[in-house]
Amino acid sequence: GAMADEVEQQPTTNTVEEPLDLIRLSLDERIYVKMRNDRELRGRLHAYDQHLNMILGDVEETVTTVEIDEETYEELYKSTKRNIPMLFVRGDGVVLVAPPLRVG
Amino acid sequence: TLTQLEGRAIAENSMVVLLQGLQGEVTTVDLRNESTARGRVVNVDAFMNVRLEDVLYRDRRGKLTELQDLFITGRNVRYVHIPDHVDIMKTMQSQLAKIHRVRNFASHGGGRKEYELLDWSLELTHNTLFLFP
Repeated sequence: GAMADEVEQQPTTNTVEEPLDLIRLSLDERIYVKMRNDRELRGRLHAYDQHLNMILGDVEETVTTVEIDEETYEELYKSTKRNIPMLFVRGDGVVLVAPPLRVG
Repeated sequence: TLTQLEGRAIAENSMVVLLQGLQGEVTTVDLRNESTARGRVVNVDAFMNVRLEDVLYRDRRGKLTELQDLFITGRNVRYVHIPDHVDIMKTMQSQLAKIHRVRNFASHGGGRKEYELLDWSLELTHNTLFLFP
């Protein structure tokens, strides 16, 4: 029979049933994303999928590096930030997704 | 290798469709190895493998190389910078429409399986895009 016109749209559920639903609650909100290789992103979540590929807007990326002082053997933590207006993030780099950390 | 049918089925259920809609756009791809490639998107497949042309490739040390053609495997993609003028919703919707138009046209006999995939993709689209302002 006819195809596209008969497809029913499922009503969007508001209940949280699985972990991805928690991310759905953050759509259009600012979020914090911890990524592999000591990177963090803060941005507005525009879209995501089941792989955790994401589109983030107004993004601030923070890359943290550690340098060891050759004489004192002190650990020197440095972070580099940059801003990107709209970013597609491949999901396999994502470690965790959370609401932005609030500084009390 | 992947048949076109399988490729469309994989792509339509994920956000790779957005990247596929960037064909012809000049973008920057950040690679996993800390290098970047800026060039025109020739093609993106279901696995996020990217072909770029007229590329400026910057390695992790900052050294620049000009490349006519660059193929990046999906696994090596960390970020894709989306150009400011791209409308994400419209791009994804028109990509999905392209997939479905091809499917509808080709589905005289083996229609059943394609119909189920169509159902699923519409539901996923609804769930992932519904909160756009």
